[in-house]
Amino acid sequence: MPKRGGRIRNWKPNEHFEHDDRAHSNNTRRVSFKSGSYKGKSKFRQWNDASQLLLDGDIDMGASAGYPIRKGVRYQRGRLSSPAPRTAKRKFIAGPLPWYQIVIPYGAKHDKDVILRSLLGFISPEVFIPHYYKINGNTAIFYVDDVKIAEKLYEADRKITMSDGFKLLILVRNSVPNVNIDANMKEKMKLVMAKRYNAATKALDLTKFHADPDLTDIFCALFRPIIMSVAIDIMADNIPDLEALNLNENKIHGMEHMKVLCTKLKNLKILYLGDNRITTLAALEPLKPLPLVELYLKGNPLVSRFNDHDIYVSDVRKKFPKLMRLDGVDLPPAIGFDVSEDLSLPSRQQSFLIDPAGQNLVREFLTQYFAIYDSDSRQPLLEAYHETATMSMAAGYLSNEGRNVPGNKLNAYISNSRNIMRITDRESRRRYLRTGRLQVVSFLSDLPKTNHDLMGFAVDLLVFTPAMIVLTMNGVYRETTSYGNPTRSFHRTFVIIPNATGGFSITNDMLFVSNTTKEQEDKSFSGGEVAPSSSTSAAPVATIAATPSYDENQRMMLNMLCQQTGMNEHWSVNCLQETGWDYQRALFIFNQLQSEGKIPPDAFVK
Amino acid sequence: MASEVALKNVDNACETAEEFTRVFYKQVDNSRHLTSKLYLDTGLLVWNGNGINGNDKIQKFLMDLPASNHVLKTLDAQPISENVVSNKLTYLIQACGDVTYQNDDGKKPFQQTFLIVAVDGKWKIASDCFRLQVPYNQS
Repeated sequence: MPKRGGRIRNWKPNEHFEHDDRAHSNNTRRVSFKSGSYKGKSKFRQWNDASQLLLDGDIDMGASAGYPIRKGVRYQRGRLSSPAPRTAKRKFIAGPLPWYQIVIPYGAKHDKDVILRSLLGFISPEVFIPHYYKINGNTAIFYVDDVKIAEKLYEADRKITMSDGFKLLILVRNSVPNVNIDANMKEKMKLVMAKRYNAATKALDLTKFHADPDLTDIFCALFRPIIMSVAIDIMADNIPDLEALNLNENKIHGMEHMKVLCTKLKNLKILYLGDNRITTLAALEPLKPLPLVELYLKGNPLVSRFNDHDIYVSDVRKKFPKLMRLDGVDLPPAIGFDVSEDLSLPSRQQSFLIDPAGQNLVREFLTQYFAIYDSDSRQPLLEAYHETATMSMAAGYLSNEGRNVPGNKLNAYISNSRNIMRITDRESRRRYLRTGRLQVVSFLSDLPKTNHDLMGFAVDLLVFTPAMIVLTMNGVYRETTSYGNPTRSFHRTFVIIPNATGGFSITNDMLFVSNTTKEQEDKSFSGGEVAPSSSTSAAPVATIAATPSYDENQRMMLNMLCQQTGMNEHWSVNCLQETGWDYQRALFIFNQLQSEGKIPPDAFVK
Repeated sequence: MASEVALKNVDNACETAEEFTRVFYKQVDNSRHLTSKLYLDTGLLVWNGNGINGNDKIQKFLMDLPASNHVLKTLDAQPISENVVSNKLTYLIQACGDVTYQNDDGKKPFQQTFLIVAVDGKWKIASDCFRLQVPYNQS
């Protein structure tokens, strides 16, 4: 038996392990402890592992499982070469966990009352509450949550003679009761929390929660992350607007898992964490986003780490800048910098009109344009574009994460996207800019069929002069013939000029397409779904183009082109107009576009 | 078919858009007090439907916005026909991406369209339309 007198009484897990070569159920942990050098900051993680250890070397692991323990063997330290029994009992060493398991071998021989009375009699005048008393085989087991009581009971080992003449064996282990969270337990916690909630002040008092008389049969200690998480969930589900929470005296040390408080209880302004086991201010880091105005930390080891109270206050305030009260004392107002950090975004407006006179025209123009755009055929939009109009579209995914969800795929757009951050060569940049109304409308005709949520449009009229109109739209449309009818978000700008015939023509059309956000999707079409109108029922595009009239020569060219190309009159007219009624050129352009497959089937519907 | 001059103008619009957005977002994010210099004296900013007219007011408005960080994801540009804008070189630029504001959780998608015009050898913003990608239904 090695001499143990020189052993330092402070808790040093690694040292303990080095000496501890008893058969141990948890060999792997031992290896991991040995490998790294022991740094203070990892202390807390090790606590859990340490709890697996027997704090008191006297205890055989078998004891709690109900195996009989023989005198002499108990003291064997695992070194077979050194079997000498110890003569003096070691002093009690406080463990890192706030709870102690008391194991009484052969305790089953006596009534619970008899044992408890004997123990209480011995440690008098101290009193204690035995938690979760149970019989396991021959052994009686219960828990105490007070280190002082644990020590007293430790000293009572083999000091109490029972009625049968045997001395009562008492083993003390630093250990917490097992927790099994089930629906029944959650319900119990909920009831206790409801009882402790003050609706008038929106305050919940969970002081010494585990000791609540309604929770005596379960081990419901909030310092256990799993229990705290359940408690936070109950709060978030039932009292999400909670403003004050008292967690005093719950033996809380780690707080990483309490980070969810910041997102689940956004109104939490007052937090009491007094008389817990929080050892550093850094442990409060996960709670930093909470807009706390009052905090109570007294009774935690972290407070005594500060020699200077002013530094303590200032360091706490750095974490919680809005704090006005700390440990029950009002703080002097902090002197800050006027950096206006609480700026909020200006509220958004649905529309801006540079000139209110433009309102009706814009509304009419967009109603007509999208009636056609959303119809079966976009071909009549030829009337809406200027001969030399340009159009380009860029598409991008809302986020990388969502791009592989089937309904989010933007393949129909991406392959034609003129995102010049990606399309870098001049030739492609020119090609992706659709030029001339024929190209523009044939391009538009190839895009997925749509139904726009006109009521949800945000429209900004940026320029409104006799010579030029610029308007920008933001909104949502649904793809009507794609699988699942996904919604898309778009941003689009039209540059419009008056044309010779008294109508208006689009000279520039710039479109951006992306996925909708969840919020956009939920609110889209909330103004009522407008049935897509077919091109025939759409209002005549009077404002867009005046009724065409052609001279005899033009009429002849038109007929010829119709016959030669098979295109209908609409497309033939536009092809001719675009080329300044140069028949040969019109035919050339037709052949070119046709060979590139750019003329939509619509063009041949008569 | 489009003339060589017109095609060169398309190239130039794209290159100008790249340079312009580099400068613009750098200023908005890092030195906002200088940003209004990029606007015409009579420039227009429409921020989420709030119209702000004139260089001075734009400056004040921008200064009152929380600090921001813009990340561009797509960019597009077109020249505007010089017949329309009385022979002034004018480009239409559309920039889209994500913006993060100070004291705010998470990035927000945004779309922004500029009309920029060349004045005395400098590009100036004639109009700037900024929209966050959010629902705009009246409800």
